[in-house]
Amino acid sequence: MEKISIRVIELIAQAIEKTSDDISPSSTFDELGIDSLAAINIAFDVESEFDIEIPDEEIHKLKCVQDVVTGVEKLLADRH
Amino acid sequence: MKMRRVVVTGIGCISSLGNDSNQYWQALAAGKCGIRKLETLPVEKLKVAIGAEVPAYDALDFFDKRQLGLLDRCSQFALITAREALTDAGIDFSPEEREKTAVILGTAGGGKTTEDDTYKSLYHDGKNRVNPFAIPRAMPSAAPSQVTMEFGIHGPAFTVSSACSSANHAIGQAFWMVRNGSAEVAITGGCEASFTLGMMKSWEALRVLSPDLCRPFSNGRRGLVLGEGAGILILESLENARARGAKIYAEIAGFGMSSDASHITQPSVDGASRAVKAALTDAEMNINEVDYVNAHGTGTQANDVSETQTLHQVFGKHARKLKVSSTKSMHGHALGASGALELVATVLAMKDSLVPPTINYLEPDPACDLDYVPNVAVEHRIKAAVSNSFAFGGLNAVIAVRAVD
Repeated sequence: MEKISIRVIELIAQAIEKTSDDISPSSTFDELGIDSLAAINIAFDVESEFDIEIPDEEIHKLKCVQDVVTGVEKLLADRH
Repeated sequence: MKMRRVVVTGIGCISSLGNDSNQYWQALAAGKCGIRKLETLPVEKLKVAIGAEVPAYDALDFFDKRQLGLLDRCSQFALITAREALTDAGIDFSPEEREKTAVILGTAGGGKTTEDDTYKSLYHDGKNRVNPFAIPRAMPSAAPSQVTMEFGIHGPAFTVSSACSSANHAIGQAFWMVRNGSAEVAITGGCEASFTLGMMKSWEALRVLSPDLCRPFSNGRRGLVLGEGAGILILESLENARARGAKIYAEIAGFGMSSDASHITQPSVDGASRAVKAALTDAEMNINEVDYVNAHGTGTQANDVSETQTLHQVFGKHARKLKVSSTKSMHGHALGASGALELVATVLAMKDSLVPPTINYLEPDPACDLDYVPNVAVEHRIKAAVSNSFAFGGLNAVIAVRAVD
């Protein structure tokens, strides 16, 4: 589970041109300057990385990094 | 120089609600939904498999095989509607009039089905040859070119492209040209045929498509539903129209444009408001005169709240008295054709004193607190109306219309 969090943070860091050190699970999208369009892009990267599909409505609910991690964990668990 | 008054004397449209404006209006008045399971695409590859396609469309009903070789579906729709609109207007062009007639059409994508077929044969089917007419079929300006050729029109002709505002920008330009005398007649509107696998996947990726229906301004709305089709209006001066005893639908009274300069997909209340105000100013129309707003009303979370705030900002207390409806709930979002389909709906609403409804409406959303004419058309005299188009990229175009006594 720890690994998912680290990888999600890496993906977000790449997407917004920051380093992983700048981002923690509690970082909010507002703090990181992630708007709705950037969130869609991050969701796309996360989907590709973990081979999952995030429902459209869930993307609009993502407010912080931990929301993404929790969502990925849930989608992976549902798959198994 | 005294500005001329400009009126609509012919209309035509093709959409998911039928092949002509009569079928279209009957469906709008009855609150009929044109959104169905997609028939022309491999739905097993799609997460969202619904849209507002032109139903049971066979191009051979309208064109011979030789003609069709040069016509993308988008140009086909433009020609079918131009025929209807010109027949409706009953204009018998003199050679001089042919040179003073403009063809200005909007399209967001142009010949998308041709492009998709071309790339499919190269990248998917492993062929090394493509349709020899891929370029003249797919170019975004193909539709106005085809219209000039079919009807022998020699005046100014071009395509306007501003995504979902394309038709309104085109109609506004045509209106101004007739008003200032640089054209006597204008054949104007928009056309779109973008149901291709590539386009559907691209819209899916943007995550704005509703998986069920289009429910503008309603609580429980889940996004927009793509549509296709074309709408064309014939514009000419009031003087010319009266001189030849033409049927007059309504007067195009004003046109306003603005750009948000803020975000490539999110709308701005200030930007949209500036466009509505500009249209009212251009029309010398007081806010209290306006009875009906044909809303952009896409059914996305962002648009519907922002458009509601826009109407509050522009109309103040009068906003509560407006009838506001989104006919996209029935004909879907036909992108570059939308403004034209919606202006046709608006002038027919004025003619019949009947406001078409916003269908698929479930329950009020506290953030959308106007009279959206939910689910059932209402009789209402419309002396003046406004038709909104607010495109991705913040390009806004609004047309103001007045009844002609």
